[in-house]
Amino acid sequence: MKIKRAIISSLLHILLAFITFLWIIPIIWLVVTAFSGYRGIDISHFFPETWSTKNFGTILFKPDSVVQYVTWFKNTFIIAVFTCIISTVFIFMVGYAFCCLRFPGRKQLMVFSVVLNMFPGVLSMIAVYFVLKSLGLTNSHIGMIIVYSAGSGLGFLIVKGFMDTIPVSLRESARLEGANELQIMLKIILPICKPIIVYQVISSFLVPWGDFVLAKLMLNSGLSKDWTIAIGLYNMLDKSLINKYFSIFCAGGLLVSIPISVLFILMQKFYIEGVSGGAIKG
Amino acid sequence: MAKYRTYPYDRKKYQSNQKPVRSKRVPKVNPIVKYFKDLGTCLSEGSTCVKLSTVFMGLGHIYNYQFVKGILVFLVQALFIVYLIFAAAPNLAKFSTLGTVKREAIFDPLTMQNTVNEYDNSFMILLSSVCALFIIFMFFLFWVSNIKSMYRTQLLLEARKHVNTFGEDFKELLGEKFHVTLLSLPILGVILMNIIPILILITIAFTNYDQNHLPPSELFTWVGVRNFVKLFTQTTTSSFGYAFRRILEWTFLWAFFATVSNFLLGHLIALLINSKLIKLKRFWRTLFIVTIAVPQFVTLLLVRNFLADSGIVNSICSNMGITAFLQNIGLVSKNITYIPFLTSPGWAKVTIVIINIWVGIPYQILISTGILLNIPRDQIEAAMIDRASPYEIFKNVTMPYVMFVEGPTLVTDFVRNINNFNIIYLLTQDVYVTTDQALANSHGKEVDLLVTWLFRLTNEYYDYKMASVIGVIVFSICSVFTILSFSRIVAGEREEVFM
Repeated sequence: MKIKRAIISSLLHILLAFITFLWIIPIIWLVVTAFSGYRGIDISHFFPETWSTKNFGTILFKPDSVVQYVTWFKNTFIIAVFTCIISTVFIFMVGYAFCCLRFPGRKQLMVFSVVLNMFPGVLSMIAVYFVLKSLGLTNSHIGMIIVYSAGSGLGFLIVKGFMDTIPVSLRESARLEGANELQIMLKIILPICKPIIVYQVISSFLVPWGDFVLAKLMLNSGLSKDWTIAIGLYNMLDKSLINKYFSIFCAGGLLVSIPISVLFILMQKFYIEGVSGGAIKG
Repeated sequence: MAKYRTYPYDRKKYQSNQKPVRSKRVPKVNPIVKYFKDLGTCLSEGSTCVKLSTVFMGLGHIYNYQFVKGILVFLVQALFIVYLIFAAAPNLAKFSTLGTVKREAIFDPLTMQNTVNEYDNSFMILLSSVCALFIIFMFFLFWVSNIKSMYRTQLLLEARKHVNTFGEDFKELLGEKFHVTLLSLPILGVILMNIIPILILITIAFTNYDQNHLPPSELFTWVGVRNFVKLFTQTTTSSFGYAFRRILEWTFLWAFFATVSNFLLGHLIALLINSKLIKLKRFWRTLFIVTIAVPQFVTLLLVRNFLADSGIVNSICSNMGITAFLQNIGLVSKNITYIPFLTSPGWAKVTIVIINIWVGIPYQILISTGILLNIPRDQIEAAMIDRASPYEIFKNVTMPYVMFVEGPTLVTDFVRNINNFNIIYLLTQDVYVTTDQALANSHGKEVDLLVTWLFRLTNEYYDYKMASVIGVIVFSICSVFTILSFSRIVAGEREEVFM
C-alpha cells in the first residue's frame, strides 16, 4: 500500500512539475532575454549567447525618442495614485450607501448599477473618447484619471459584500449613542473595513499599469513623453523597431512587474484577511 | 428613533424565512403610473404656492418663509433656462437634421488666410443634443420632486406640524438623506463615463457617421435602421452579413471554450496542488502566481513573439523535426516551413484558447484554492466514514459545493470572455492577416471577436456607424446573460444573512 502510494505521489509530482514548467517557460524567456546582449529577437537560442545588463541601463538612464521609460513610469504612477484615491473613495461611499442605508429606489439602483457594470467599456470607448475630446482632456493626465476612476462606483459589490458581514447591532448602538451617519461611517465602519479598503486601493492602483486599450485610444498624440508604460512598451514591438528594442522591451516588462507583483501579493493577503476576518467578526 | 422603524432596519425581517405579514393588502401599482398619479394629486390638490412653483420654482418656498431654499431652487431654474436658451436650443433645433451647413474654407486675399464659414459639426450637435436631452430629463425630475416637496410642506403646515428649515434640511444630508451625499458624486461620474457614452453609441447606430462623413469637414445625418439591415444581410457589394455571422459564431465558440477550459483545468490543477500526496504546496502555487506578476499585456506580447512564424518555438520545432511530422500528418500545409501558430485560422483559434488557459489558470487556481479550503470538512469526513472513494467524494461533495459557489460566476465569466479584448487584440493585431476576401472587405478577421472587430472598425477605418450597431448588438447579448446571472448575485435574500 505504502509503495503504491509513493509511486502515485511521485507520478503526480512529475505531472505537476511538467505543468508548472509549461507555465514558467515564457517567464524564463522574458528574464533571460532581458539580460541578453543581443538587442533583437534571438530565434535560434533560448538562452542568450552573451549576457549583459546594459538593457536596464538603456532603459533607466539613456532615454531616446523611442524609450522614455522613466517618464512613462512617472506618468503611470501619477495617474495610478489619483485613480486609486478617487476610485476607493467612490467605491467605499457607494458600498456603504447600498449596504448600510435604506432609501427608496435602493434596490432598483443597485440592480441598475450591476447591469451597467457588466456593459463592456470597450464598446462605448469611442464615445468616451469624443466626450473627453470635446472637454479637451485627451492626451492629459486628468483625462486618463477621469477615464479610470469616474465610473468606478459601479464596482461596489466586493466592498458591499464585506460590509454586509458587519453586524447591524454595531451601527444601531452607535446611532443610539447619538452618532450621525457620517460619524458611523468614518468611525465605526471604516476601521473594520480596513483590509477590504487596502485590497481596493491596491487593485485600483494596478489598473493603469495593466490597461492597454483605453490608454492607446486616449493618448494618441504620438509624443512618447505623454504615454503610459503599456503603450510605450507596445510601441517598441512595432515592426520597424522590434529588431532593435526587443530585449529592452523584456527588460522594461521585467522592471514594471517587480512593483506590481509586490503589490499583488499584498493585495491577495489583504483580500484573504478581509474575507475571512469579516466572516469571523460576523 | 421612530423614523427608522418604517425602514427594514430590524434584523428579524432578514433572519426569519417567513415573509412579513402585510397588514393591509396594497394593490401593486406600476411605479411609473404611480409617479405621475402622485404628481397629478399634488397639482390638483395643491394650494396656490404649489401651483406657483410650477412656473416660478422657489416662489412657493419663499411664500412659506423658506428664503434660502427658495433662492437656491430659483437659481437652479434660472441657470437651466439660460442653458436651454443659449446652449441647448441651437443644437436641439438642428438635432432632426444633424446640421445642414457644410464647412467651406474661403481664401481671403486681404489677410492671406482661409476664412471658414459658420459650419455645422454634426458630431458636436449630436453630443450636445444628447447631453441637453439628458439634462432636460434630469430637470424635469427635479421639477416634479420640487412640486411634490412643496405639496408635502403644505400638508405639514395644514396639520400644524414642524416644517424643516434650510439648516435642518442641510443636516439631514448627514442623517436620513445621507445616501444623497454619498451617491451624488459617483453617480455623476457614472453618467459622464458610462451613461452618456452609451446613449451616444446608440444614437450613432442610426446615422451614417463613417469615413465618408467625418466631421468637421463633412456632415452626417439620420438613416433609420439601414445600418442594422446592412449588418444582417449579405449583398454583392457588402459582406457585412457574412462577416457578422462568422465573427458571431467564433465569439460564442471562444467564450464557451475559454470559460469552460479555464474552469475545469483550473480546478483540476488546484485539486492536484491541494492533494494530500503533493509536498511543497506553497512552492507550486507560487510558481503559478509568478505568471500573474508580469502584466498581461507584457506576457501576451511576449508569447506572440515566442510563437511567431520565424520565432524561437518554430526554430526549435523545426530542428526537432516536429514541423516535418505535423506536415506529414497533414496538420501543417506543405507550402510553409513553419507551424502557423497565430497566422492560420485553425491554428490561431486553438493557440488563442490555449494561451488563454495559460493566462487564466493562475487566477483560477487562486480562486479555487480558496473555495476548496472552505469546503465544509464535516461533509467530507462523513463521506469518508461511509467509505466513499476519493472519486465519489469529488463527484458528490466537492463538485456540488464548487458549483454552488462558482456557478453564478460562470455566466459572468462567459460575458467577460465575449468581450475579452486584450487577449485577441494583443495576440493577433499586426500578426494575423485574413485570406478570406469577404471578411477582409468588411475589415473582419476569422479570429476577431465582435469587440475587436468593433475596435478595428473605429480605430482604423472610422466606420463609426457599423461599430455602433455592433456595439448595440453586443450590449443586447450581454444584457440577456447578465440578467440571467445577476438575479442570483443581488437577489437580496442573501444580504445581511451572516449574522
